Amino acid sequence: MVEALAVASGKGGVGKTTSTLALGMALADDHDVTVVDADTGMANLCFHTGLADADTTLQDLLLADADAAVEDAVYERFGLSLVPCGTSLAAFRDADATRLREVVAELATDTDVLLFDSAAALGSQSAVLPLVLADRTVVVLQPTIPSLSDGLKVQEYARSYGTETAGVLFNRVQDDEAIDRVAEQAEQYFGGPTLATVPESDAARAARRAGEPLLAYAPDSAAAAAYRRAADRLDLRDGDEGAVAERFRSAVIPEPP
Amino acid sequence: MNLADAELNIPEGRLVRSRVGVASALEAALARNLTGYARIDPDSLLADGEPGVLTFAEGVPRAAYCERGGSHGSKRSESSETHRSDSRGVDALAALAGPGPCSVELYELPEGALEEVHDTPGFTVPPGAPAEELADEPALAERARERAPDDAGNADASALESFLENEERIAAIQEEARAEAERRAEEWGLDGELDE
Repeated sequence: MVEALAVASGKGGVGKTTSTLALGMALADDHDVTVVDADTGMANLCFHTGLADADTTLQDLLLADADAAVEDAVYERFGLSLVPCGTSLAAFRDADATRLREVVAELATDTDVLLFDSAAALGSQSAVLPLVLADRTVVVLQPTIPSLSDGLKVQEYARSYGTETAGVLFNRVQDDEAIDRVAEQAEQYFGGPTLATVPESDAARAARRAGEPLLAYAPDSAAAAAYRRAADRLDLRDGDEGAVAERFRSAVIPEPP
Repeated sequence: MNLADAELNIPEGRLVRSRVGVASALEAALARNLTGYARIDPDSLLADGEPGVLTFAEGVPRAAYCERGGSHGSKRSESSETHRSDSRGVDALAALAGPGPCSVELYELPEGALEEVHDTPGFTVPPGAPAEELADEPALAERARERAPDDAGNADASALESFLENEERIAAIQEEARAEAERRAEEWGLDGELDE
């Protein structure tokens, strides 16, 4: 086990799931990577990976009377181990978010890098748990004031649980000239470097429609190249797998009231 | 607000919408081809209550002014006054943007009433910037850009850059977020996980 990273944004529409999968595929050249759809309230990793009809998902593992094994919800696709989340509202209501740490602890024993695709909004315990459980965060931003404000906010939430920022990814960039100035200015407020600036891309939308990650659908696109640069700049920290798994298990997370 | 001090003389208009959010106001201005202005009052606790104004020509945002936010030492300030406490153009958008909703009143003016204002340098905003930065509505921003004349809104720097220059404001956002995170950790039973 190397490291668990939460990919977070603080707001929707910035391309967080696209970014999580793209980073995951780029990192998978050198590591075993597991991507978990930890956005249990608005799961959509399954739609990006052709797993919309997956039999067993994270939702099944989070049920109080779960009888599914963790490995039943892991799917090998695109060189990644994927743990999709179901989209059933009833299952979401019945899910016990605190069981996530058990699931993560088990996944951590058998992978190098864990990526959590985190919830966009910070309005519930289940939305914040990936920030609590991760070693560090990757903050995905769009170059607008609302996105930067929300990114700063998600960084503070993560920091309050001792989770620092590994890096910042600017996505859906339209103005190439201004972004370098913006990224330089933003670096003084974020705990990690700018990993990459990813241009706005029709390929990302087409990939989503095709149910494939961007790096599988359009590996030669400018956006895909930017994500590979981001993965190269991400300075992963080696952690002892036993210790990491134990940390997840021992996280003192009480039952919801 | 005393706009005369700002060299931005806006006549009193006819109220056409009140107590709406920024997105609704921008949408309404575009829909009715409004020439006029929006008075914007931030509701956020982070704002200090000073309002701003955004003008429109035929539905498209053209100029902005805010009575605060200009004292953070913007490097791009075109004025030699170093202690100015107002802000203009994209700086005004940055002062009005950020967390929290706003209340907006929309006023209509006769055609041509704002020509002088829109010819005054320094107040100009890019046509899509208010929708993008104040309302977080990229699709609405795109429609405003499509409707805008070719020569509209060629500001040198962005509202985002102005926002990022304001270290005090960002420190306030971070402090507010930290306090909120700790408060909610307690509500969610996660306070044992907080980093001491």
